[in-house]
Amino acid sequence: MMERVNTNMGGATAALDYDAELMLRVKDGDGASFAQLLEKHRSPVVHFLYRMVQQQAVAEELAQEVFLRVYRSRGTYEPTAKFTTWLFRIATHLALNALRDGRNERNQERLDERSDDMPALQVEDRRPSVEQAMVHQATLDEVRRAVAALPGKQRAAVLMHKYREMEYTQIAKVLNCSESAVKSLLFRAYETLRARLAHMA
Amino acid sequence: MKCPLETREERVLVAYSSRTLDGGDKELLEAHLQSCSACREFVRGQREVWEALDGWEAAPVSADFDRRLYARMQREVSWWQRMRGRMGLVPVYRALLPVTTLAALVLAAVLLERPSPPRVPPQPVTAQVEGLQPDQVVHALDEMEVLDQFNHMMKPDSSTPRM
Repeated sequence: MMERVNTNMGGATAALDYDAELMLRVKDGDGASFAQLLEKHRSPVVHFLYRMVQQQAVAEELAQEVFLRVYRSRGTYEPTAKFTTWLFRIATHLALNALRDGRNERNQERLDERSDDMPALQVEDRRPSVEQAMVHQATLDEVRRAVAALPGKQRAAVLMHKYREMEYTQIAKVLNCSESAVKSLLFRAYETLRARLAHMA
Repeated sequence: MKCPLETREERVLVAYSSRTLDGGDKELLEAHLQSCSACREFVRGQREVWEALDGWEAAPVSADFDRRLYARMQREVSWWQRMRGRMGLVPVYRALLPVTTLAALVLAAVLLERPSPPRVPPQPVTAQVEGLQPDQVVHALDEMEVLDQFNHMMKPDSSTPRM
């Protein structure tokens, strides 16, 4: 479940970031390095965008745009920040724009349906009963609804904190705000989620 | 340890709930939780949120994601190559030549099309004369005649002795 990344390196040590080294090789025309970056970050970026916009097709379209922008920027790339900070900054920017443009305006309606976008329920060896599956699905829908109701920046902060396990400093750099602002965003977001999901306890 | 809820340090509770609080801070908070029901309730609520979020799996990425991406990248590269090939140019400075020429032509056209300041038609020389009335001319001639007579009278006459 956890999509852990090594967040020990701060922006100041970006020069030691292996991804940044790969990107510098892409800058020098090494296509194989781009393939490595894509392989490593494809799923994290798509999953982040999926949880942001909650539509798989839109998420993949946005993720393609993210990697296209990375590729287009190769000529002017300078490792002034950690590579993933730059990558998620692009992803967040595109996701917030998509939310603002209402590209996933039907999202809320689709939450009421069982969509093919949704991952299949995790079926264990002992198959859950129909009732258990329905409860699980209802719980999942509640969670998705609660996350979708968060303001864009709070949503992005929670998703990076929860699923990417990014540190406050890196989230702050992605969202282009202060570390204390991130703490405030996260606290408000988690409190809102707690209030919305309290009835599930 | 002071109560995080009282000191507005809820982030410590959030970090503890997300199991990212380590070391001494974690031990201090756990000791505080023994005696603070408000913080215990806060942590319990946050843990529930955390576990609910754990259950939200993301869908796997489409199998053709890379193929579609590389196709788009290839289209961009092909477009650029087509543009360069169409112009038959290799170095960039040669590509700038037609652009510069076009810009110069546009600038020249703009300057030529610029409206010139309105010209003031020259005043006819006879305008003043035409503006005079006949009686004004007659009056002027009369005055000239008077002046002439006056001058004549003031001329020293050789037969008349000076006073």
